[in-house]
Amino acid sequence: MADVFEVTDEIKAQYGKETEPWVSEVTTTSVRMYARGIGSTDPLHYDVDYAKSQGFRSIVAPMGYVGTPVFHPDTNDGTFGFPRRGGGARLNLPTKGLLDGGTETEYFDYICAGDTLVETSHLAEVKVRGNMVFVTNEAVFKDQATGKVVAKQRLTSIHLG
Amino acid sequence: MADQTYFEDVKEGQELPSFTIAPDKQQLVKFAAGSGDFNPLHFDEKFPMLKAMGLQDNIVHGRFKYAQVGRLVFAFAGPKGRVKKFGVSYRGMDLIGKPITVKGVVTATRKDGGENLIDLDVWTEDADGKKTTPGTATVILPSKG
Repeated sequence: MADVFEVTDEIKAQYGKETEPWVSEVTTTSVRMYARGIGSTDPLHYDVDYAKSQGFRSIVAPMGYVGTPVFHPDTNDGTFGFPRRGGGARLNLPTKGLLDGGTETEYFDYICAGDTLVETSHLAEVKVRGNMVFVTNEAVFKDQATGKVVAKQRLTSIHLG
Repeated sequence: MADQTYFEDVKEGQELPSFTIAPDKQQLVKFAAGSGDFNPLHFDEKFPMLKAMGLQDNIVHGRFKYAQVGRLVFAFAGPKGRVKKFGVSYRGMDLIGKPITVKGVVTATRKDGGENLIDLDVWTEDADGKKTTPGTATVILPSKG
């Protein structure tokens, strides 16, 4: 099958181009809702006193939580929740279908309720295999209070043409 | 959370305690609310794209399965350890209500930069034993010393 998309030099020139920052408050409610959503009963995700007794700042965001967007009706996608924001790469991708290809997160610290994360994202790579276009974006999450990077996440989406 | 595991107690080839879930529609709606992903593929059995894909029922979110792998490695790390990295590829679809087993096995133990590191293969598998969400993880464990 011929490739449905070409990774041009114009596209490669957009690798690394950062989006505007997106600020997300990590709250006790958002952590508990996510934990409930994944079916966890671990008290580290629900009980602040217990989490503190185990050495954490507050309840711990479950692994996989990072990247959960704070929703603003003026800016976020109504179905998927992700923020539409300025900057970053602009690609004219095939639109017959969209699948999640993979997720990888590197943690430099645990994320806890009370943290405020500032995220920027950039296009890391585009690959084509037949009618599938693999687009990988890398997001960097910094703690707003300290400026320290707390997590990096690579997300691969598959666009079908 | 499970009891604390220490670096000295872990051996290559050791399996992590696995668990099996069979997420129903209510569970996936809860996940939609917690994650913000309200793609109808995951909770509306009449969503046209399902039929176009030849499916009779809703698909479990990839990120839901990623989070299950996260539960596995978080429990393994224990309160004194830390998950350093984990990633998966979404290779196969799992349908609502069907069993998903979450597994992991130690592939290496090593020390690097003063950290006690455990490398893992991690995955979810369906009722036929097919790995639908394979990946890797690295966990930092405390030392007994």
